[in-house]
Amino acid sequence: MSNLPLISWRPLSLRADISRFSAPSLLWVGSKASALVFPALLLVLWQVAVNRHWVSAQILPPPSLVLESLLQLWHSGDLWRELSISLERVLIGFVLGSAAGLLLGIGMGLSRTLEAYVLPSFQAISQVPVLGWIPLLMMLVGIDESLKYLVIAKAVMVPITLNALAGIRNIPKGYLEVAQVYQLGLAQRLRRVILPAALPSLFTGVRFALTKGWIALVTVELLASSEGIGYLMVDGRQMFQLDLVIVGMLVIGVVGLLLDQGLAWVEMRLQRWQRPAF
Amino acid sequence: MTAAFLSLQRVHKSFALADGPLPVLQDINLNIRQGEFVSIVGGSGCGKSTLLRLLVGLEEASGGSLLLENEPIRGTDLARGIVFQDHRLYPWLTVEDNVLLALANAPLSKAQRHELVQEHLALVGLSGFAKAWPSQLSGGMSQRVAIARGLVNRPKVLLLDEPFGALDALTRAQLQDELARIWLAEGITTVLVTHDVDEAVLLGDRVVVMEPRPGRIRRVVEVNLPHPRRRDQLELVQLRQDILQDFSHSPNTALA
Repeated sequence: MSNLPLISWRPLSLRADISRFSAPSLLWVGSKASALVFPALLLVLWQVAVNRHWVSAQILPPPSLVLESLLQLWHSGDLWRELSISLERVLIGFVLGSAAGLLLGIGMGLSRTLEAYVLPSFQAISQVPVLGWIPLLMMLVGIDESLKYLVIAKAVMVPITLNALAGIRNIPKGYLEVAQVYQLGLAQRLRRVILPAALPSLFTGVRFALTKGWIALVTVELLASSEGIGYLMVDGRQMFQLDLVIVGMLVIGVVGLLLDQGLAWVEMRLQRWQRPAF
Repeated sequence: MTAAFLSLQRVHKSFALADGPLPVLQDINLNIRQGEFVSIVGGSGCGKSTLLRLLVGLEEASGGSLLLENEPIRGTDLARGIVFQDHRLYPWLTVEDNVLLALANAPLSKAQRHELVQEHLALVGLSGFAKAWPSQLSGGMSQRVAIARGLVNRPKVLLLDEPFGALDALTRAQLQDELARIWLAEGITTVLVTHDVDEAVLLGDRVVVMEPRPGRIRRVVEVNLPHPRRRDQLELVQLRQDILQDFSHSPNTALA
C-alpha cells in the first residue's frame, strides 16, 4: 500500500446522488429506484433458493422468517439495545481514532522532519490488519470496552492520518505563497488556508475511516463481546438461528450506509463554495 | 535624477540543480523612482518572473542587493503587494473575505478593515460582488479581485507578474486601461512583468528589455508620453516596433 492520495476510495455514485438532493426530480427518483434493483433480485433469488430447497432452511432461512425475527427484535427493544451499544463503541473509537489521526496527519503535513521520523513506522504498523492486533491487545488490555475502543480507533486512525497528510501535501504551492505574502501565522494558515484546502481529502479519509471503524467493530464483537450487534450474530450462529445472523448483516449494512450518507451530507454543507459558475 | 526608491544592485540569482548551479539572473542593476511604472519585458526563460519573486521576497537573491527606501528586502512584507498570473484567490472564501485576508496582520480595527475592502472592491469595479464565491467569477473579474487584494494594504510597491497573461484579448485590453486608471489614481510605484510588448509600452514610464540565458537587462527604454495613453498613438507604435526588433535578431530570444 502506498502513502499516496487515496482519492478513489469515495464511491462515485454517492457523490452523484448528493448533488441531486437539492432538486428532487424524476431522474433522482429513477436513480434511487435503480439502486433497489440489485437487492430486489437478490431477494427473489433467495426466496427461490429456499422454495426449491437448494440450501437447507437451517442454513438459509426464508426471507419471511428473517423479517419476522427482525420485527420481533425491533419490538422487544433488543435490536435497539444491541445497536446502541455498538454505535456507542463506534462513536468513541471513531472520536479517539480521528482525533489522533488528524493530529498526526496534520503534524506530518506541516513538518517534513516529523514525517521522516514517523511515517515509515506508521505505515509498517498500519499494514497489520485489525484482526492481527486483537490477540495482542486482548493480552494487554483484556476484553473490556477499552479493547473495542482501541481496535476501532486504530482502524479509523490509519486512513484519516494518511488522507490528512496527502491533503496537505497536495495543496497548490500558489495558495501557500499567498499566505506567505500576507504573513499569516500558523493558526491563521491552518484555519484559513491549509484545512479548507485539505478538506476534500480529509473527508475522503473520514468517510473511509467510518467504514473501517464499522468493520472493526463487527470483527471485535464477533471475537470478544457479550453484547452488541456483532454478538447478536455470534449468538445466532451458535444457536443455529441463521435468521439472527442475517438480521445482523442487514442492520450493519443499512446503518453503515446511513452513516456514510450522513457524512456525505455534512461534507456537502462544509464545501458550499464549490458551486458551479453561472 | 531623483533618488532611487526601489533599487537593485548587481543582483544575481542561480538555482541549485543536480549538475551544478544554473544562473537565471546576472548582474541586474535597476533604480526605480517613487511613483514610477516600470515594465519588464522579455521572452520565456529570461528570469523576469524570478526577478519579481525576489522583489516580493518569495525567493532570495544569490548575490547583490535589493533595497526599498534604502532598507534591504528580506522575506515578504505587507509593504510589497503582488498580483500573480493565476489569480490565486481562495475558492473557499468569498470575494470580500479573500481581500480581507490580506489585512489579517494589518494593525487596523475591524471597521477600518471592512472599509478598506469595500473601497478597493469599488476601485476595481466589483462592489456588488463582495459576497460572491470566486467560482462564480470570470477570469477577468477574478484578476480584478486579485488586484484589489494586492492594493488593499496600501503597499509602497505593487508587483504584477504577467497579471493579464491568462486572459482573452478583449478582457486584457480592458484591464490594462483599468490598471492605468488605478495607477494614476493611487500613484503607487508599480513593477509589471510581461511578455507582451504592447502592454509594456502602453503602461510603463520605462520598459526594461531582458534577454535570456542567463537573464540580463538588454536595455532600458524611456516612454516619455503622458498617461493615460491611447494604443494607436504613433509614438507607442514606433516604440513597440523598436523593442520588437530586439527579439527578432536571434530565434533564441524570440518571444513566447
